[in-house]
Amino acid sequence: MGSVVTRNRVNASGPPEGRPMVFAHGFGCDQTLWRLVAPRFACDHRVVLFDHVGSGQSDLSAYDPEKYGSLDGYATDVVEICRELALSDVVFVGHSVSAMIGVLAYHRAPELFGAMVMVGPSPRYVDDGDYVGGFSRGDIVGLLDALDSNHLGWSAQMAPVIMGNPERPELAEELTNSFCRTAPDIARQFARVTFLSDNRADLDGIEVPTLVLQCSADAIAPDTAGKYVHERIPGSTLVRMRATGHVPQLSAPEETTAAIRAFLTP
Amino acid sequence: MTGPDGGKPTGPQRARDPKSQLDRLLEDDPADLYENAPMGYLSTAPDGRIARVNRTFCAWTGRSPEDLLGSRIQELLSVGGRVFYETHLVPLLRMQGAVREIAMDVLRIDGSLLPCLLNAVEMRDDDGAPLLVRATLFEATARRRYERELLAAQRLAEESEARSRTVQKVVFDLAAAMTPEDVATVIVQRGRAAMKARGAALVLVVGEADDPRELPELRPVRSDGVSVDLLRRLREAAGSQLALELAQGLRSVVLDARLRADQPRLAAAMAADGVTDLVIVPVSADSKRLGVLVLARGAPKRGDLISLEEPGDQRPLHPALVDLLWTLGRQAGQALERVRLYEQTRQQGERTGFLLEAARLMADAADVTETVQRLADLVVSRLADVCVIDLVTEHGLARSAARHRDPAGQRLLDRLRERQAPSRSPVHPGVRALREGRTQWLHDPAEGRALLAEVAADDEYRELVEVLKLQRVVSVPMIVDGRRLGVVTLGGDRQRPPFTAAAVEVAEQLALQLSQVVERAQRFEFEERTSHTLQASLLPPAPPEVPAIATAVRYLAATQGVDVGGDWYDVVRLPGDQVAMAVGDVVGHDITAAATMGQLRSVTRAMSVDGPSPAVLVDRLQRGWEQFGLQRMATALFATLDPATGELRIASAGHLPPLLCSAGEAQFLPVRPTRMLGASAAPAEEWAGVLPPGATLVLFTDGLVESRGADIDAGMDRLLEVAARSCAADPGELCDRLLAELTGAHRADDIALLALTRT
Repeated sequence: MGSVVTRNRVNASGPPEGRPMVFAHGFGCDQTLWRLVAPRFACDHRVVLFDHVGSGQSDLSAYDPEKYGSLDGYATDVVEICRELALSDVVFVGHSVSAMIGVLAYHRAPELFGAMVMVGPSPRYVDDGDYVGGFSRGDIVGLLDALDSNHLGWSAQMAPVIMGNPERPELAEELTNSFCRTAPDIARQFARVTFLSDNRADLDGIEVPTLVLQCSADAIAPDTAGKYVHERIPGSTLVRMRATGHVPQLSAPEETTAAIRAFLTP
Repeated sequence: MTGPDGGKPTGPQRARDPKSQLDRLLEDDPADLYENAPMGYLSTAPDGRIARVNRTFCAWTGRSPEDLLGSRIQELLSVGGRVFYETHLVPLLRMQGAVREIAMDVLRIDGSLLPCLLNAVEMRDDDGAPLLVRATLFEATARRRYERELLAAQRLAEESEARSRTVQKVVFDLAAAMTPEDVATVIVQRGRAAMKARGAALVLVVGEADDPRELPELRPVRSDGVSVDLLRRLREAAGSQLALELAQGLRSVVLDARLRADQPRLAAAMAADGVTDLVIVPVSADSKRLGVLVLARGAPKRGDLISLEEPGDQRPLHPALVDLLWTLGRQAGQALERVRLYEQTRQQGERTGFLLEAARLMADAADVTETVQRLADLVVSRLADVCVIDLVTEHGLARSAARHRDPAGQRLLDRLRERQAPSRSPVHPGVRALREGRTQWLHDPAEGRALLAEVAADDEYRELVEVLKLQRVVSVPMIVDGRRLGVVTLGGDRQRPPFTAAAVEVAEQLALQLSQVVERAQRFEFEERTSHTLQASLLPPAPPEVPAIATAVRYLAATQGVDVGGDWYDVVRLPGDQVAMAVGDVVGHDITAAATMGQLRSVTRAMSVDGPSPAVLVDRLQRGWEQFGLQRMATALFATLDPATGELRIASAGHLPPLLCSAGEAQFLPVRPTRMLGASAAPAEEWAGVLPPGATLVLFTDGLVESRGADIDAGMDRLLEVAARSCAADPGELCDRLLAELTGAHRADDIALLALTRT
């Protein structure tokens, strides 16, 4: 398998002939986030999970601040993963910021994608005129501070220890809060890239069926953001979920699965 | 406590019943422990809705339990905490069932934040579905402050290290720079990266910083992401007070209402480029201000991250960044100075080579015309687009050379030359240079063009100048000992950078070299012309036709120096059909010798009017020498011949004997010479004999028999030998043969030769 697979710790399951579904995790944790939802599609889909570079158990040495200084770098990786696995007619399921990474990947290689599922998308977190993203610039500064506060005990030197000892996975397991662990510098930059991007214009020109899943009381992607995405992509489906919060795939896996199923089933 | 006497305690009892108090505390209702524990307790539904909260938490936050119950914990967190809660805490609880030591800021009712550390566990039912989250919160104000300080210090150190790295890289990269362009590339790229600027450009002061006459010109050397238009507007805006701008140091130009009002064009250019402010960093070395580094900052473009600064909120530059930029400016300045010195040294070498080459070209040239042409060619090959050399002649300024560096331009220039000579216009820099006796250097292209238009003779001339795109002119006068010899004019077109002071200096050196050549040539030419005139006037006309004799005369000047010397011949008819002949040699073969010869010949002719015998003539000349005031001494041979009888008389004043060629035999006649003319007088002896019919008498000067390689006796022997072979020839032929066989291509002395045959 190619370096892409190692780099992004790609995991594929389900029937090889099944329609591919690529699940992309958002800012915060890693592919484990999908573990209550993805397996439910593995019976009839080729399910592909991966970690963004810098997150989870991706290859940290592949983290290039230049490349990942914009969402485009992540989108490039998505396209590479699809090509590496020779996928086509892909159902791209992107959570949070990965919904926009999917949009960018679509523009890079529209031929690869057959449908988009956006879970809690926001094309821009920072308010801008009439547009309500839910955050002021000051909020983002506070967010970066909060991240810093939670990364103090986590020395950057630990990363190589964890990543460099695949033969001793217990090292990683032992660490509390492990699967949401990211090296502080990377977490900080990913947060910046996530919360300071403006992808509204990129929503134009998406010509595959698109599902927008909007949670109730989502503190990160407010209702206005989901609505904006829906309105900017003609023909898209907006489903408002009963699930609250920002991570319905964990808090309401059944509802999430059902909504995606319904969307994919003609 | 026991007293010293070992008795019972004597002091007042501390408590009525300490044991019962402790028991009471220990037996306290666990509910009280929950409510008043030194930590906050919270129980929430899986979606964050608060189901239970203790009094401590309520007290810490200033909220009542009623307020809290039923609201969601997310609402109690700062925005950052809320995001962290959703993106980290929720997944972790769901996946791992517990989290530890999560930093959270809790909002108090007054809006202030209470820094906390949070531990939480998820309570699940038998199927693993979440039922409840139990959380404990500890206040961590001091710890958080300490951590923040630690973090801030670390950030500061990192930033400082990053700046040091930037400076190191800049220094390293600059060390390899060889040209101002190299320096510009390094400083523009590094400066732009350090500032995270949208664009950067290095603008340098061109020309002579020490030229007080005008404000220095600005030239953008390299620009990344700063548009040409913006740079032009910035230069215009700074233009008239550039020195001031540079001296003011690091400053920023913000696109605001004031700028829009004061500098609308600059503001428009900034807006068009999406630039919100410009940071101008002085580039200097020691006290020299060499230019500025312009950094353009802008609102994010599509694909850029959103700036954390509020739009329109221009915070002042961070002092550390200001320091860094100053450092970059100084580093760039020093590198530029180094590069400039290196370049100067190189150019100095080139100029020396150039001047040497010019000197060699001039030395090799055959005459002034060639020298001038070659020089003009050399100038347009290196120094200028056009080179015009005008020389002062009797008829005024004459265009001696006009060269253009390329053939197309040359054709135009030739046409220009056909038009009237612009040099006649009094404002032409060449004319002014000559009149004022100093170099005219037109820096300003506009001034140059205007002037060329002014000196134009007509529209066609103007058009040609326009096509040639000439706009910079340097005119250097050629002056030696106060004599104005000409003027060298260099022209530069629009593509050429302005002439530097060094280039003008080279032009002045060239003009000096050329003027020395011209001066020498002109002096030589003057002498040559003078001597030709003298010779023409001093040598006698063709010998007179005399019956019964045939004469031939020849004069050859020395091959070095002027074309005339002190040798002469003369043939005169005397009264009574006698013929007088003379050959003489005034010492030296220069103009003075020629002049003396002319006077002597006239005196001799005058003294021959009454037909004195040769000896009498010599005596008269010797006795009267002082009155004649002649500057040089001379040798001479005088002879008279009666063509009818062949009676021949000869007297010699220190001269070589004549040659007689008769019947195939040649001999020197034994004429005894007296002293040279001009030496103290001594009686002259006269030889008398007969020139037989058919015999030829040959009178000659020492130039015929003297040569550098052999003594005079050998020359005399050679003369006898050649003459004997040529006796039968007529006098003209005899003269030619003698000259052909006895003299070579190089003559150190001039030669006068006279042959007379009695027919």
